[in-house]
Amino acid sequence: MNVAWWCSSTPGQIWTWRYTPFIGVWIVAASLIGGYVAAHRRAGQPLDRVLFRRWCLGVLALFVVSEWPIGQLGVGYMATIGIGRYVVYTFVAAPLLVSGIPTWLVDRWFPIGSKRGQVLSSVTRWPFALLVFNAVLFGTHIPWIVDTLKVTQLGSFGVDVLHLGAALIWWWPAIRREPERGAIQEPIRAFYLFTSSVLMFVPAAFLTFSPLPLYGLYELAPPLWLGFDPTSDQQAAGIVMNVVGGFVLWGIIAGLFLTWSRQQQNADEITRKARDARTLARMKVMSDAEAGEAHDGPGTVGGLVDGGAVPVRDD
Amino acid sequence: MTGRIDAVPSPATAHRPGSAPSRSGPLPRPRPRLLTGMLIVLGLLASGCGPASSTSLAAEGLPRQSDGWHGIQLEIERTLPDVTLLTTDDEPFILAEELRGDPTLLFFGYTSCPDICPVHLAAIASAMNTAGISYDDLDVVFVSVDPERDDPERIDEYLSNFSSRMTGLHEQLPIVADALSQLDLPGPVVEGPDPRGEGDLIGHPAQVIGFDANGEAQRVWPFGARRSDWVNDLPRIVEEWS
Repeated sequence: MNVAWWCSSTPGQIWTWRYTPFIGVWIVAASLIGGYVAAHRRAGQPLDRVLFRRWCLGVLALFVVSEWPIGQLGVGYMATIGIGRYVVYTFVAAPLLVSGIPTWLVDRWFPIGSKRGQVLSSVTRWPFALLVFNAVLFGTHIPWIVDTLKVTQLGSFGVDVLHLGAALIWWWPAIRREPERGAIQEPIRAFYLFTSSVLMFVPAAFLTFSPLPLYGLYELAPPLWLGFDPTSDQQAAGIVMNVVGGFVLWGIIAGLFLTWSRQQQNADEITRKARDARTLARMKVMSDAEAGEAHDGPGTVGGLVDGGAVPVRDD
Repeated sequence: MTGRIDAVPSPATAHRPGSAPSRSGPLPRPRPRLLTGMLIVLGLLASGCGPASSTSLAAEGLPRQSDGWHGIQLEIERTLPDVTLLTTDDEPFILAEELRGDPTLLFFGYTSCPDICPVHLAAIASAMNTAGISYDDLDVVFVSVDPERDDPERIDEYLSNFSSRMTGLHEQLPIVADALSQLDLPGPVVEGPDPRGEGDLIGHPAQVIGFDANGEAQRVWPFGARRSDWVNDLPRIVEEWS
């Protein structure tokens, strides 16, 4: 059986459906799950089912797109699957991993005030995170970088680590809700995510509208089937980056706006009820006053109301 | 890799191609050294692994020559081989005569070829389209080196995946080998079973040879030539070699 450390482009190698395990992928996945469970045991904390499920799903997403066959097809044969891997790393695995870490574990690994805590606060500050994410997005899709790094297992591993690392940093301020760690509020969060979705159109547009294949490793790879066209594959890759990446991001942005609007609606409802209560109170006072006038005779109602004796403000 | 790349009669041989538990009490400190150690081990493991393939092909395409071409100029004189092959209609096709008058791109391959042949032919067909070059102005000829499997129908069907305007030729192996030897290229050799289970892989020259309208070989494009290389060179071929 063929065994390798990590998926990489293997120029000239004919694709076959013969299983090739990537040991590095198994080790990383086992380390992530094992480390998570061990950290809980060491701290004497019970596993939170919801958080653990998220963490495991994140690891599973990483595993599926890094192991054979998707990992190999994506790195060496089809740009569409290559971009699909990036989308899963960035928009599926990373947010699941970030949202799967309990607050106590963050506090333990990155205590507030400690050097590590300061580093975490610095790299996850939203302008910096936005910069890092987009620098990695643009940098790792430059043809020369792709054609140079993805033909070695180390290079390919490095690119995957960069993608995951940048995505974790980028999702952190958008997902983590600890105020003491600089959690960003809804309007900025939506802007933050929206900006990234717009910037993503740039590399996606290059892929979609380039008349020639940009990446030599996909263009010169043995085709998976006769008539396989690397230019069409690249256009499909651009569409995957735009549509799938965009859909996920815009779905999250839409969710944020819905939550925000619901909160605003609730706040408006509370205000309206308070105003109604005040109006009722004023009407009651007026009605009582009219009743009093009828009982005591004219001359007192206007004085009571106009003189501001009724402590009601209609603002 | 099924095509032999080192059979180019020129310097082309050099171009191989939130619901967290509440915070409670003092917790034992983590072991950052363990994590760091794991990362180092992973890195070392990764660095200890070379490319999964020993084949090294340049994905950057062919380097631009000093004269602006990407195809490599031949330093020795060769002409279209003096052989008679058969078309896919089984009509005789005298190579040296039929291909004079227009520049020609000649390629020896086989329809079961999993890598070099489809990559070359797809690149040429796509670049012809992008550069707006007509098959009326440039002949693209595919000669089968696998007469056992490549019957006329199969050749036609194969070429239609790229362009039905490409010319497919075939003949018995000795005649094809003669054509190759006239170009100082080695004959086809069986390299072993195809890992896809589709018979044997056949080694054959991996370069496309360009002939001018007089039938004189001018340049070669080894495996690794990309569409961008062809888009650069095809208009020059039509303009300068016609």
